[in-house]
Amino acid sequence: MRVPADSDFTSRLRSAAVTARVGLWLGICFGVAFVTGLVSHYAQVPDQPVPFPTSPSWGYRVTQGLHVTAGTAAVPLLLVKLWTVYPRLFARPPRGARRLVVTAAERASIAVLVAAAVFQLATGLANAAQWYPWAFSFRSTHYAVGWIAIGALVVHVAVKLPVIRRALGADVDDTSQDRPAATEAGVMSRRGLLRATWLATGVAVLATAGSTVPFLRRVSVLGVRSGDGPEGVPVNRSARAAGVTAAATSPAYRLSVVYADRVVSLSRDDLAAMPQSTQSLPIACVEGWSAGATWTGVRLRDLLDLAGAPAGHDVLVVSLQESGAFRQTHLQSNFADDQRTLLALQLHGQPLAIDHGYPCRLIAPDRPGVLQTKWVHRLEVQA
Amino acid sequence: MTTRLVIGGAGVLLGLYGAWLLLSRHASASIVDAGVWLVAGVVLHDLVLAPLFLVLTLVATRVLPPAARAPVTVGAVVLGSTTLLAVPVLGRFGAKADNPTLLDRDYTAGWLLFAGLVLAGVVLATVVRARRGGGSPTGRGAHGPGARR
Repeated sequence: MRVPADSDFTSRLRSAAVTARVGLWLGICFGVAFVTGLVSHYAQVPDQPVPFPTSPSWGYRVTQGLHVTAGTAAVPLLLVKLWTVYPRLFARPPRGARRLVVTAAERASIAVLVAAAVFQLATGLANAAQWYPWAFSFRSTHYAVGWIAIGALVVHVAVKLPVIRRALGADVDDTSQDRPAATEAGVMSRRGLLRATWLATGVAVLATAGSTVPFLRRVSVLGVRSGDGPEGVPVNRSARAAGVTAAATSPAYRLSVVYADRVVSLSRDDLAAMPQSTQSLPIACVEGWSAGATWTGVRLRDLLDLAGAPAGHDVLVVSLQESGAFRQTHLQSNFADDQRTLLALQLHGQPLAIDHGYPCRLIAPDRPGVLQTKWVHRLEVQA
Repeated sequence: MTTRLVIGGAGVLLGLYGAWLLLSRHASASIVDAGVWLVAGVVLHDLVLAPLFLVLTLVATRVLPPAARAPVTVGAVVLGSTTLLAVPVLGRFGAKADNPTLLDRDYTAGWLLFAGLVLAGVVLATVVRARRGGGSPTGRGAHGPGARR
């Protein structure tokens, strides 16, 4: 077998008219994933110059559902788009030093774009299924490569702008921008290929989105979670994996609320004897699954009042976990003072299951799931 | 041209910021590993997946009757892309014994059901096209599942 040449690809389906139309939606998907990714990143930054909002309570759930959905939709779009431009890989380099340099630079930018795009989709999909077959840190690497992908995408749009404009301004069957070799009718029309692409994209979303859109659960046969779990809510990290089972079920368990030199110590019974509040707040994981839930427990603000802490202070929420990146989390003052923020003792009217954070867990509106600390042991009001 | 230069310049800055994040905040072993994954993605697509699809297309055009070609193509795009993105769940690589709420579906059965539906759609569309005497490669539209004239 020999290496194919550009002229070997004769189908009229491999046309800029198709590439631009699929590329437009691919660009939209990457744009949505980038912006929603930034939202999630900012929500997890401890020191926020502009406080992350507590309302709407479903804001984080919707943005992260969109993040994973956009990434999923991008898979068929990227595959079809790369198929339409595949012959370009075998195009002969131009003559003349100057044109050669320009072509080499353009090719390099496309190599970066394809590498970053495939990397983001592959690592993102693996992360949603909690599969980590690599040594690098997922979160910070996916974040860094996200900037590289969006940068390379913007460069690509700038380079191709005249082609994109002409293609989108003309009929899909227009052949004025086709390669000279692309003269044969394909197996279907260009409109047919576009319809097949939209169909594949829609099917990919329906087959997976049930992990975050409850009414799709029965359809989403390839979703990472069915939505079942203790008390009807899935679990991200079990008590066993966190190594807290003994400490969480011990009769010696006490919650400490600390403000300056004052320490209030409370058993779970003490917490249950306090005025209870019930809130409907979603639990929305960074990995893209989410569930609506009804939580009952003590308002966090009431606990801070017990220790005499005034409003406007951030709180360090410490778990019984002895290790792990989310052993302790930083709760900004706008979340700590929000009337909906609870130290929950019950989920859906049942005592909190140990995998959901028994004896008590934090649940706040519009907050990433990893920061909704389980098995809470200490609340330290920051100076 | 100025507009394009401004957009392109902005893109270069965004990308460089990402490269700086990647190179300045990670240990060199992690950077190398990430680099391997970045390159592997391109190589896997350009040198494995795309040629494989080319060969399949070549075989399909020789073997399939004309009426089946468009439906099979639509079916391949739908089934192929969704199967590829479902590799992490189909393999259940991230499953954990202590967490039964993760990867808690029968993915093989789900995939077989999905593939069966696609196959049924392809067969149905092929029969309809054959009866109509269609299958001409310049036909106006795809006749795959869900795609209507």
